Amino acid sequence: MLAQQVVNGIVLGSIYALSALGFTLIFGAARLVNFAYGEILMLGAFFTLTLMSALGLPFFAALPAGMAATALLSVVLFYLTIRPLTRKSYTSLQGELQVILVTLGLLYVLRESAFIIWGSAPRKIEMGISGIVLIGDVVLTRQRLVVILIMAIMVTALYLMLYRTRIGKALRAIAQNREGAAAIGLDGDRIIAFVFAVSGALACVAGSLLGTLYAVEPAMGGAPLLKAFVIVIFGGLGSVPGAIAGGLALGLIETLTGAYISFAFKDIFTFLLLIAVLLLRPAGLFGRVR
Amino acid sequence: MNRLALPLFVLVMAILPQLVSDYQVYLMTLTVIWAIMALSMGLVLGYVGQINLGQIAFVAIAAYTSTLLRLNFELSFWLAAPVALAVVVAVAAIVGLITLRLRGPFFILVMLAFAEIVRLVIANWQEVTNGPLGLRGIAPPEPIFGISFASKTAFYYLALVVLVVSLAALLRLVRSKTGRMLVAVREDEILAEFVGIPVMRQKVIGLCISAFVAGLGGLLLGPFLTILAPSQFTLFASVDMIVMVVVGGVGTLAGPIIGAVFLTYIPEMLSFANHFRPILMGVVLIVVTLFAPRGILGLLRSLKRTPATEARDGR
Repeated sequence: MLAQQVVNGIVLGSIYALSALGFTLIFGAARLVNFAYGEILMLGAFFTLTLMSALGLPFFAALPAGMAATALLSVVLFYLTIRPLTRKSYTSLQGELQVILVTLGLLYVLRESAFIIWGSAPRKIEMGISGIVLIGDVVLTRQRLVVILIMAIMVTALYLMLYRTRIGKALRAIAQNREGAAAIGLDGDRIIAFVFAVSGALACVAGSLLGTLYAVEPAMGGAPLLKAFVIVIFGGLGSVPGAIAGGLALGLIETLTGAYISFAFKDIFTFLLLIAVLLLRPAGLFGRVR
Repeated sequence: MNRLALPLFVLVMAILPQLVSDYQVYLMTLTVIWAIMALSMGLVLGYVGQINLGQIAFVAIAAYTSTLLRLNFELSFWLAAPVALAVVVAVAAIVGLITLRLRGPFFILVMLAFAEIVRLVIANWQEVTNGPLGLRGIAPPEPIFGISFASKTAFYYLALVVLVVSLAALLRLVRSKTGRMLVAVREDEILAEFVGIPVMRQKVIGLCISAFVAGLGGLLLGPFLTILAPSQFTLFASVDMIVMVVVGGVGTLAGPIIGAVFLTYIPEMLSFANHFRPILMGVVLIVVTLFAPRGILGLLRSLKRTPATEARDGR
């Protein structure tokens, strides 16, 4: 029973980690809190779903196309709404507040547009993989195994990108010191646009996976956004390892408290834990004070 | 604000319900209640200098506390109201002491978490709050001093009085020493600390006052809607208040009220389809932030700007 709950927690945690990664990348590179992130995730899921139903593509062909479409949308939104505000500086408090206002506006526009385009009926994404695997007495559907696998692939790809490529290096430079990076000739806006693309692609994967396990609907973005907040605060805003550890931890905490303490109050428990962490370690468990 | 604007506004708002239909009175009451809540957000955003995504929690606490006292202990509205307001201010003080130490995004996220905790407790504490189904059949306030509030128009006047008194009190507050200290803290915390302003205390006082005003809105909400449910108190209600403040003009007290009129009365009157109202809110928020960060009041002022007023305002 416990082993089963732990495995369930890891599956849920994998999706949480994926949704938190895109959010934390944007914060790490540009110091922006993106409230529209949950809606990007929702649109990503709808893109995958629509590609599958309109073109008859299988899940594993529709997903990369959906990722590309979501990345493109994310970059377009960055240039249209966020860059005009941050052109001068990414660090002023005034700019920070304005970015929050604009992304809150985007949240409304994107969610309600999805209601108008796709309607409110929840729909499921069929991965086309059936069957179960037995490990000891733990039951795991193959589909859930694929979820964990996709998470591992995405995390590996992200690590290779961050630590083995020039653009990854530039991205880390921007995150560490924007002015310094500009002084050695890095184009901040283009790198941040790239971060928005990566974050959009990750959001699409997280949204599509949520769609295979639960359902795709216009209101689905709210919960992953709140979870991403909690995770990045546990793990430290802007920290990639923190987002992965935080995501897995949150998945486990939720599954275990839901199973053994109280299902109704599991979210309250998470938020209380969040406040406690912030009081004891204001920069998160993995974060450093800048 | 222009010296004549407030009396003129009160006069118009007081005469109008005598001339228009019941439905219009309903819309005006809704607008006034949103204006009270937006006013409370205006104080946080413009004078404490923080985006508070948890403001709706103060509204919810006041609404539920007062209504539960009336339903379970048969207290009159007028006795339940001060108790509920005291609870809200106490909660704001405790929450403020914890959260106002945090900076930038951390304050925003923790206040959001606080509001979610309040909403989830309301939604899950079935025995007391009746969960997602909510509290139903909330009566209008009991008569007091021989005035009955059973009619829609009488309740409208009650809401209007609350709004005008709050506005007048806040106008005095921001011109008082406390208000000027708040602005000093907002502009430069370190400098304010340096000249001897108790920064933390000022911020907590600012949040408590704003929670009190939000609580006033919450008190009216129950009797007005006759039903309270947790779904009314999501993050999006706080965002709606923010949109009103930003549209009207941050850093002013008339701004939130203008914003409430623009974003409650006008969309309702045009009876926008369900999903177009939030889209309108979102587009307005984006466009105003990008192109008119000072809101409607800022636009009016820049139209009026002459060399003489510029010299007076020191621009």
